[in-house]
Amino acid sequence: MPPVPWGENVRKREKITTLVFILPWLVSFCIFVLYPIVFSIYVSMTDYSGLTWNMKFVGFSNYVRAFNDRVFLRALSNTFLFVLITVPATTVISLFLAVLLTSGIKFKRLFQAGYFLPSVISMVVISMIWLYIYSAMGPLNMLLRSLGIDVPARSWLASEKTALGSIMVMDVWSAVGYYTVLFVAGLQSLPLQLYEAARIDGATKWQIFKRITLPLLKPTILFVVSINSIRSFQIFTEIFTLTGGGPANSTQTIVHYLYDVSFRKFEMGYGSAIAYVLFFIVLAITLLQRKILKGEQL
Amino acid sequence: MRALVYSLLVLFLVISLFPTFLMFSTSFVPEGDLFNRTIEKTVSDFEAPRTVLLTRVRPIGKAFELVKDEKNSFARLDSSKGVIGLAFSMGSSDINRLSHLVFKVRASSALKMNFFFKDIRESVEKFAEIVIDPTSEWKTMRVNVEPKKLTLDVLHISQLRITIEGDGTLEIDDVILVNRYPTLYNFVKVLREDYFGRYLLNSTVVSVCSVFGNLFFCSLVAYAFARKQFRMKELLFSIVLSTMMIPPQVTIIPTFILMRKLNLINTYWALILPNLVTPFGIFLMRQYFEQLPLELDQAARIDGAGDFRIFWNVLLPLSKPALSVLGINTFVLTWNDVFYPLILTTSREMRTVQIGLALYQKLNVFTWPTLMAASTIAGLPIIIVFLIFEKRIISGILEGAIKS
Repeated sequence: MPPVPWGENVRKREKITTLVFILPWLVSFCIFVLYPIVFSIYVSMTDYSGLTWNMKFVGFSNYVRAFNDRVFLRALSNTFLFVLITVPATTVISLFLAVLLTSGIKFKRLFQAGYFLPSVISMVVISMIWLYIYSAMGPLNMLLRSLGIDVPARSWLASEKTALGSIMVMDVWSAVGYYTVLFVAGLQSLPLQLYEAARIDGATKWQIFKRITLPLLKPTILFVVSINSIRSFQIFTEIFTLTGGGPANSTQTIVHYLYDVSFRKFEMGYGSAIAYVLFFIVLAITLLQRKILKGEQL
Repeated sequence: MRALVYSLLVLFLVISLFPTFLMFSTSFVPEGDLFNRTIEKTVSDFEAPRTVLLTRVRPIGKAFELVKDEKNSFARLDSSKGVIGLAFSMGSSDINRLSHLVFKVRASSALKMNFFFKDIRESVEKFAEIVIDPTSEWKTMRVNVEPKKLTLDVLHISQLRITIEGDGTLEIDDVILVNRYPTLYNFVKVLREDYFGRYLLNSTVVSVCSVFGNLFFCSLVAYAFARKQFRMKELLFSIVLSTMMIPPQVTIIPTFILMRKLNLINTYWALILPNLVTPFGIFLMRQYFEQLPLELDQAARIDGAGDFRIFWNVLLPLSKPALSVLGINTFVLTWNDVFYPLILTTSREMRTVQIGLALYQKLNVFTWPTLMAASTIAGLPIIIVFLIFEKRIISGILEGAIKS
């Protein structure tokens, strides 16, 4: 065995080995995260189209344009509406299901797997199924008619009044299982002694839930709400496949408009500005969540 | 109370699974949709006035006789008067879904019936023949159709032709074509007419490469974070974690510009490279490596093993549970990804199955059964993966959630 050499050489070799090990991430991070994020700022201040290589610096005018663009403002308000309705709905339903699942029932894993299934199926496939469900002569209208409710023979996605709501229902349906699994894990990690003590004191189930479960589950709820909000702010696939933002921009969302502007109308400078608005919204939610979590722990 | 809990659970289970069930069952319907299936298609019941009827049913040989009794009208073919047969117009129909032909018949003497299809290129081919025994009662007859055996252009059939041989009269009514149900033809149709086979191949190549890339590179990076000491380690690791929060839409435009400069648009590289090292994978593998005992490394080091040997021969073989969680989750995410493949591919040949499906619906005239068959093709691989690895997928999600 060679003598163990200590000193400059070994330290250098150690450094090089470490570098080799983290190199894949470093390269990928620089090319696919750092460069795009920095370059995006620049692109968002140019009139770059995406068709030619010409870029003229235009300052903040793309950002000014966004907040004067009716379609973008509509997309912004639709997206906020979407988040404000689907996130609470998903959270309440999945928490409810998780409480049912952890109430000592049989076949728990089977039920959980059943609820979870929609969240592994791709959004394109889910959209196709709901396109059929919502269609003029589709299963939903058939069900309503058989219940004696008179509905117009028109797809639910074809009317300005119902399109966004229909997509919300579909989204809640597809997301509930995922968050149920998170809540089940959260509920199972709660200390059992507290429950026993409460039961001995004669607390009702609702009291136990309100006074013990909810406060203890707060970090999980917060986590679910924030990742679901971040995901919902990025809603794109269902809009792209089902409505293309229509009818009359009633389902236009931030990311779909970003796609429209950048890859259909080829105004990538403007598109980058929209991307940055989205980035700041997501950043704000993340920071807000961190702040609340830290406040909890103190 | 128990009963209420169980009924609620079952109700939610039904709501949760019904749409997927709807997709599967509709994909086997020949025509129409699940609740309004078109199984039987009447070719002619001879009830229309003669002039109207003649636009759909043409005589072969001399004109046939249209007979009306009290409630029913039917066609009478008399060979002694030179009436040889009937030709039913079918426009330009795809007959691949057909199972058989049904009609009512009565004959004055034993007659042979021949059945033909004609395609839009005017080729005619016989697909069946039967002998009708003389009866005075209406008899329902069935003739099987085997589209695969025909050499015609079975996607575009213009006529069904029925002729008689022998002396006597034959009366015929209610000619109905019956579809196969359930049928696998919708799958065949989307695989053949669109490029769904190719899409599946693309998705498989991209997903498999991303899985193996992630398994190798994420573990490699995770090893450094778990076992090596270096400057700014914690800072770098918090950067890894925070990149998980960056919406992919923010980076897409520069990535697109870069891929175009490198001429990588419409290549597998464009779809694989951006997802080769994911922060989730690094995080997951680091967690796992850190809870493996350090004595393992030390023992190997005494035997003269270097870092790579320790990583490859000692830690990786012990990390199969974490590797499988990472592999399956990467597979599901890559297979289902839409935004990147949509933007980084423009040619039809390079679409992944998700993009293929989305654009199939946008760009084609589709029927619900074919669209549901295409959706099944895109969705089934993941459903199978889920049914096999349900436990691992769920534990992957919980691992990812711990980071909060």
